[in-house]
Amino acid sequence: MRGYSSAVEARELSRDYISARRNRFVGRKRTTVVKALDNVSFEIQEGELFGLLGPNGAGKTTTVKILCTLLEPTGGHAFVKGYDVVKEAKHVRSIVNMVAGGERMLYYRLTGRENLTYFADLYDVPRKEVSSRVNKLLELVGLSERGNDEVEKYSKGMKQRLQICRGLINDPEVLFLDEPTLGLDVNIAKDIRRFIREEIVREQGKTVLLTTHYMYEAEEMCDRVGFLNNGRLVAVGQPEELKRKTPSGFSVELMVIRLTDDAFEGLKLLKNVTKVIATEYVGETEGEKIDRLIINVESDKAVPAVLDYMSAKHCRVVSVNLRGPTLEDLFMFYTGET
Amino acid sequence: MFLRTVLAEARKNIKQYFFTARALFWALALPLGNGLYLYFLYLPFGSRTVNLEFTSRVFTLDLAGFTLIGQLLYSFFTMMLLAGVAFDAERWQGTLESVLLSPANRIAILLGMALANTLSYVWLLMGVMFSWVMFLNVSVVISDLPALLASVLLSYLSLVALGMSLEAFCIHSRRAHMYVNMLQEPIMFLSGLIFPLQSMPEALLPISYLLPLTFGLISVRLTLLGGASIFDVAIPLTILGIMIIIFTASAVWLVGYAERNAKAKATLTQF
Repeated sequence: MRGYSSAVEARELSRDYISARRNRFVGRKRTTVVKALDNVSFEIQEGELFGLLGPNGAGKTTTVKILCTLLEPTGGHAFVKGYDVVKEAKHVRSIVNMVAGGERMLYYRLTGRENLTYFADLYDVPRKEVSSRVNKLLELVGLSERGNDEVEKYSKGMKQRLQICRGLINDPEVLFLDEPTLGLDVNIAKDIRRFIREEIVREQGKTVLLTTHYMYEAEEMCDRVGFLNNGRLVAVGQPEELKRKTPSGFSVELMVIRLTDDAFEGLKLLKNVTKVIATEYVGETEGEKIDRLIINVESDKAVPAVLDYMSAKHCRVVSVNLRGPTLEDLFMFYTGET
Repeated sequence: MFLRTVLAEARKNIKQYFFTARALFWALALPLGNGLYLYFLYLPFGSRTVNLEFTSRVFTLDLAGFTLIGQLLYSFFTMMLLAGVAFDAERWQGTLESVLLSPANRIAILLGMALANTLSYVWLLMGVMFSWVMFLNVSVVISDLPALLASVLLSYLSLVALGMSLEAFCIHSRRAHMYVNMLQEPIMFLSGLIFPLQSMPEALLPISYLLPLTFGLISVRLTLLGGASIFDVAIPLTILGIMIIIFTASAVWLVGYAERNAKAKATLTQF
């Protein structure tokens, strides 16, 4: 066994996507370079559930694909259990697996059991173990009774559960989960989150990298998180540690009627207000629209001043909610997304 | 592990593409119809035989047998083209990544796909041969059985090797299926499938001699229908052997290159 300090390590990882397009069939090609990852470095420890968070296009899937050898980086290095994902790709492939969100990566005309047996063969799972492992995995995700049905007859949630079985068929040491609950019903997503947290990480002790843009999912599951924005890793740490470090302090959530642009801009200038992150229309009451504001303040002492200010600007506050920062606040703080 | 991957890949592809009554019916009906069309094309000329000239010798072959062998080898060639396109199907159905994510040997995967198509071809072969022999009374003249077996085996292996190269090409190019489809008609014309090679314009002959199907057709037709010996077909058999080496080597190189290139250019899933 090779010596290594982290289960997964990314060192100054970069990835450019280059597209060339010729204008009107002839002439010179125009080349466009999109920087999907820009000097990203992080480490994931053994048995840790690490969340990579960020808005669409932040570079989460690109990172996962590089780490599981499906994509080559244009700069930097990455290691899984000490093995270089480019130079020792074959070895990395035997100890990792990946589950993607959506309905890909399965053969619809094959049954669930046939799919798993096929992948067990590709991973050279010992022949004697194939049948018992397939049965055990199907049982774990509650698909035992539907194992002999073609995948095309499965619901979306069942397909996703089967995908997780596929991801576990080679008993990987490191599992990459790329938006595993994308587009699933609340209850099914909750079951899958519980399964990942309780069974895969706690019971089986596997190292998991999870990408998601559902903040509650990351908050519920991850030991540590990293925020990716425009291909850059802007923060890494435990959620609680990040909340403490981030100057967002407390957040005041206000539901306001008759909010004007002038009042909104003026809020940012108040003492102890660090950021007015978002304003969005959330509904109507008595024929007037309600806006939602999330205001980051340094301490709860700023709240009366905010309310006085809103009153002076003739904005009617219909609800006030003071709370400590959540991952969603951090997400908005680091990415500027609402 | 190599053999296990080959068999797993073959099982998967048979289940996916050939294991329905409808697929089996059309696998039989289409080549049969196409072959009959070729046979009846010749009938108005009033001859039941075709003269095939090779290395200054003229072999007189039974017309039904001539078209039968042409259709059977062409069907197998098409099967190998389909095996090539199978990787493209993996791309659009979103499973290519899950296959390439595994440490399985890539050549074993290519072979497995070719094997699946070979097995389904056996069904087609039996059906077409039965119909021909029953209804068209093929006159078979075999004087050298080892020569016939060598011709069939080398033709088969050369087409499998070609199919594997095409499969690897499908990992490389997202437009590979289009190129592969474009190959069908010209190869049908250039290989001597429809008419003997001596009728081909001389300017096109160099292209014909680059095709494994051309030499497969010559050797199998001569040994099965013309009573040719191993010496008569030594040249096409040698060329087929060389082609097997070249196409296998190109498949091995291309599959490695194509995977690296697709990962560098991020084309495993995008269209």
